[in-house]
Amino acid sequence: MKRLLTQILSRLQLPESWVIFFILGIIMMTFPFLHIFNKPVLLLGVPLLFLYLIAGWVISIIVIYLFMIASHHKDKSTDEKDEL
Amino acid sequence: MNGAISSVAVIAIIYTALIFLIAWYAHHRKEIGRSIISNPVIYSLSLGVYCTSWTFFGSVGKAATTGIDFVLIYLGPSLTAFSWLFLLRRIIKISKEHNITSIADFLSRRYGKSPWLGALVTLIAFLGIMPYIALQLKAVSTSFFILSGSQKDPNAFITLASGTTIPIALLLALILALFSIIFGARRLVSSERHEGLIAAIAFESLVKLVALLVVGLFVTYGLFDGFIDIFERFKNINPEKFSQLFTFAVSRNDPNYISTFTLLFLSMGAVMLLPRQFHVMVIENSDERHITTAMWLFPAYMFLINLFVMPIAIGGILTTGSSSGADFFVLSLPQLAGYRSIALLAFLGGFSAAAGMVMVESIAISTMLLNHIFMPFIVQCTPRTWFPILLINLKRFGILLVVLMGYFYYRIIGDSYTLVNMGLISFAAASQFMPAMLGGLYWKRGNKAGAISGILLGFLIWLYTLLLPSFSKSGWISDTLLSNGPFGITLLKPTELFGLTGMDLWSHSLFWSMLFNVSSYIICSILLNQNEQERDQVHKFIGVFGKEEAQRRTERKRLSKPVTTEQFITLLSKFIGEAEARRALLIYSNGREISGDGAISEFELPDLKRFTEKTLAGSVGGAAAGAIVNNFLSDIGSSMEPVYDIFSSVRTNLDQNRESLFVRLKASEIINRTLDLQVIMDDLLKLLVKEFKLDVALIVKKNDKGTFSIVSIQGEKLPLTNQSHPCLKNIALLNLVYHDHKTHFINDLRLDRAAITLDPNADQSYISCAHIPIYREGEPVIAVLSLLSKSIAGLFTQEFIELLSSLAGQLAQAITIVREVEAKQLERSQKEAALLKTARITRDMEIAQQIQKSFLPDSAPSIAGVDIAGRCISAALVGGDYYDFFLRSSQIVDIVIADVSGHSVGAALIMSEVRTLLRAEANSIHPPCAVLGTLNNQLHEDLSRAELFITMFYAEYNAETGILSYSNAGHNHPVLQRRDESVPRELDTEGLILGVKKDILFEERTVELMAGDVLLFYTDGLTEACNSQGDMFGLSGVYSHLKTCLHLSSDEILDSFYAKIQEFTGSQNLQDDISFIAVKIL
Repeated sequence: MKRLLTQILSRLQLPESWVIFFILGIIMMTFPFLHIFNKPVLLLGVPLLFLYLIAGWVISIIVIYLFMIASHHKDKSTDEKDEL
Repeated sequence: MNGAISSVAVIAIIYTALIFLIAWYAHHRKEIGRSIISNPVIYSLSLGVYCTSWTFFGSVGKAATTGIDFVLIYLGPSLTAFSWLFLLRRIIKISKEHNITSIADFLSRRYGKSPWLGALVTLIAFLGIMPYIALQLKAVSTSFFILSGSQKDPNAFITLASGTTIPIALLLALILALFSIIFGARRLVSSERHEGLIAAIAFESLVKLVALLVVGLFVTYGLFDGFIDIFERFKNINPEKFSQLFTFAVSRNDPNYISTFTLLFLSMGAVMLLPRQFHVMVIENSDERHITTAMWLFPAYMFLINLFVMPIAIGGILTTGSSSGADFFVLSLPQLAGYRSIALLAFLGGFSAAAGMVMVESIAISTMLLNHIFMPFIVQCTPRTWFPILLINLKRFGILLVVLMGYFYYRIIGDSYTLVNMGLISFAAASQFMPAMLGGLYWKRGNKAGAISGILLGFLIWLYTLLLPSFSKSGWISDTLLSNGPFGITLLKPTELFGLTGMDLWSHSLFWSMLFNVSSYIICSILLNQNEQERDQVHKFIGVFGKEEAQRRTERKRLSKPVTTEQFITLLSKFIGEAEARRALLIYSNGREISGDGAISEFELPDLKRFTEKTLAGSVGGAAAGAIVNNFLSDIGSSMEPVYDIFSSVRTNLDQNRESLFVRLKASEIINRTLDLQVIMDDLLKLLVKEFKLDVALIVKKNDKGTFSIVSIQGEKLPLTNQSHPCLKNIALLNLVYHDHKTHFINDLRLDRAAITLDPNADQSYISCAHIPIYREGEPVIAVLSLLSKSIAGLFTQEFIELLSSLAGQLAQAITIVREVEAKQLERSQKEAALLKTARITRDMEIAQQIQKSFLPDSAPSIAGVDIAGRCISAALVGGDYYDFFLRSSQIVDIVIADVSGHSVGAALIMSEVRTLLRAEANSIHPPCAVLGTLNNQLHEDLSRAELFITMFYAEYNAETGILSYSNAGHNHPVLQRRDESVPRELDTEGLILGVKKDILFEERTVELMAGDVLLFYTDGLTEACNSQGDMFGLSGVYSHLKTCLHLSSDEILDSFYAKIQEFTGSQNLQDDISFIAVKIL
């Protein structure tokens, strides 16, 4: 489990990952996805579209936060290498 | 009412004072070197300047009128944050590297420091930001009136104590402008970070977040019972409105997502391209590492600030029953509910949002105005001492201008637009920079023409389709233009350009402007070429991560006239003040070698010039800085001119180019081909003249007398003997080269003539020259390689000089080798000559030996009754032994044996003289003693002169009587062995050796010889012959051997003696000549 996490974090350091996230985010914010959630209904008492956007937003922030940890992780490991 | 106004005003003033305090504290901390700003959280908060009063008030307004799409304005930047890792980091790196002051500076610098592009971007930013500033003014003044309870009248006047009236919005504008000036225009250096300003902004960001959260919590949980309660109530009460607000454009039953995308796109661009965003993000960034934190913290900030927007909007609609005045629900809801303190907090939040935005925006734009609009005019003038004051005041004026323009726009537009819609106009303007920006960062071909044309077209379309209609809507421009198009051409209607209908105002404008912008940018970039300066800049921007490689690049430019650091300081002082200028130069000179008088190496000059430009750019922008420095240089008669590009082709990875390698190769071929120095030098000079288009190349050598002479010259038809060649006139320089072993060169003689004392008679026709010492490390200079050019100034680049020095080194090596070879050859030929001489002498000696041998008698005379034999064995080639027989009559024979001391030629010559004299005497009959006496007298002179002497034994035998008369001059006694005697006896007489004394008498004795007697005459070589043990043959050896061979004939006796001696000495060579004569009486 820890290994998997480390691997994911190390993958997140690649600039390519960020381009993909960037593009994915834009796709999520355009026609096909928006259309799915573009309905005047309440889900759990919250408007569906509102919920989608808010949840998506939170997820994106978490993803970037994870990246920050990853990059710190990387900095640390390179620092250690430097020390060695 | 007045009381309410003044209480709000007092709170606002107290709050302002607090912000000042924070700013002052941050500034103070920076002064003592412990910045509180250099912190990722502060950085992220300062980015929150993106959330202006538009966010604070307008989002709720938009949420209550068009619904949830307000959120896209913040989702866009959140998405953009994903790209910061590569995009923003790159921009920051470049900006720090080049002291970039604003987005206009950035774009203009990328596209060849184009002043036009900078001015255009500034103009767009200036016009584009007007609605945005107006929005802030409107929001704050309106909120002020709502809070103070007066009616919403934006044009309300406030009566001052003096009785004059002033519009409250104008007063606000002036106050905000003052703020900005105090925070942002205290000093001129705009690339410097404003820590006080950022501290204030970050604090304001915090205040607006807290204020909005408090209002949100109050509405959601105070007025209502949480999110779900609000949403469900709203859905039940007004389902139609619910579906309108919580979906995208469903009301039209035609869900198109174009406007969604437009909002997303505009906000994504705006968060980086709005001048204030660029300013806080890039210019005020203190550490690249803050980006990673800001990447999640900034979206989180926006998320929080927007979380309660929807509940507040719905709550407002539910409370007031309509969405009119929704722009100020944040303020009016607590106000209506009677919570004045919350309303006050909301007011402060809104004020913070507006003030922060106006401050940063106006500072950013005034910097752009100063650098790109005012500066191009100012740089035309000669710099004066009051320039720094002028510049700083121009910057302050710029701030005031920006704020006042916003104010006037607000007065014109009034209330005809909602807050958000006003802001979007600005967003659309900022998005025009996007193609040039992204292209500039990632597309090498993107050029100035493309950037200018693209931005200009996009701007014009923006102006026509967005800004113009906004004036028109407020009635400032007639409606007919909007409804019918200009001159009644409906195809050109600003809102339905080229007949494009069915799109909202923003999408329509964005579509057309981006279409023209992007296509023009790409088409021009592909069709047109970049000029040299552009290419230079492209390399700096796109190759920013390969910085070291860029630094390794050799200088392609040179200053035609050297400038001292002092002059640069003077120049800098005129713009940034002397103290700043000295500080900057100190930073520069750190780690560089600059001599006391401020003169620096020619190769360092372009570097210093670049540094000066960069420092200036930090204050006045790149384009202007370039112009200032160039003006300055041209004023003092210097200019940046391209280095004469000797090495034009592609470099290898060794930083050697093909030409240079070719020349090196050729040179080593020339040097190795021959050992003839003259040929090497001539060919090398020929090569240099041909390859580098020189006029004259020569090698000059210093004589012992201290004058110079030409060893080799190429390129000019001059006889080598012409010692007074004009090139030699420049003796001072040549002497210098001899003295310090360094290359000295002048790249432009016309300019340098004053700087160095040149011989006034020196030839004027040369423009550049170089003198390179030819020497080996640690050894004296052998000669000087001089190169002269009549036409090319700036020929001698660092690279070229290095090449030439290396060639000179090779030549020195070759000269040394040739000299060594010559020395060896001389030695060898001397040896050969010596050998030859020896051989000749040996041959001469052999001849002499032959002659000498021929002097000895071939055979003994034959006389009846006597058997005589004589023999000589030479040790050296010529010797001093001599024997002879003189036949006086048929019965009488004279026998002589002699030994001249030494074995030299001299001895041989004396011997021949003796022979001549004896032969002359031989015809007259004299007794032996008389012969010796005469001979002694005759030879005395010659012998004493030659320091030689002779021993001689002279005998006369009469065969008839058997009497042997004899005389001895110091010679070995002959041995007489009689048949009947066991012991041989010696024939002895008194007598000195010849040549010692004149007139001496020699004794003469006689002995009668009988049949069977054997008489042996010999020289000392016989008795003194040594064997390997060093024992001599001795007299006893002679005696004993003589006894054994009495029965032999005289010839055989000699043979036997010879064999015996050979046996005795063994392998030893004879030390001395051996001569013997055997006489046997029959």
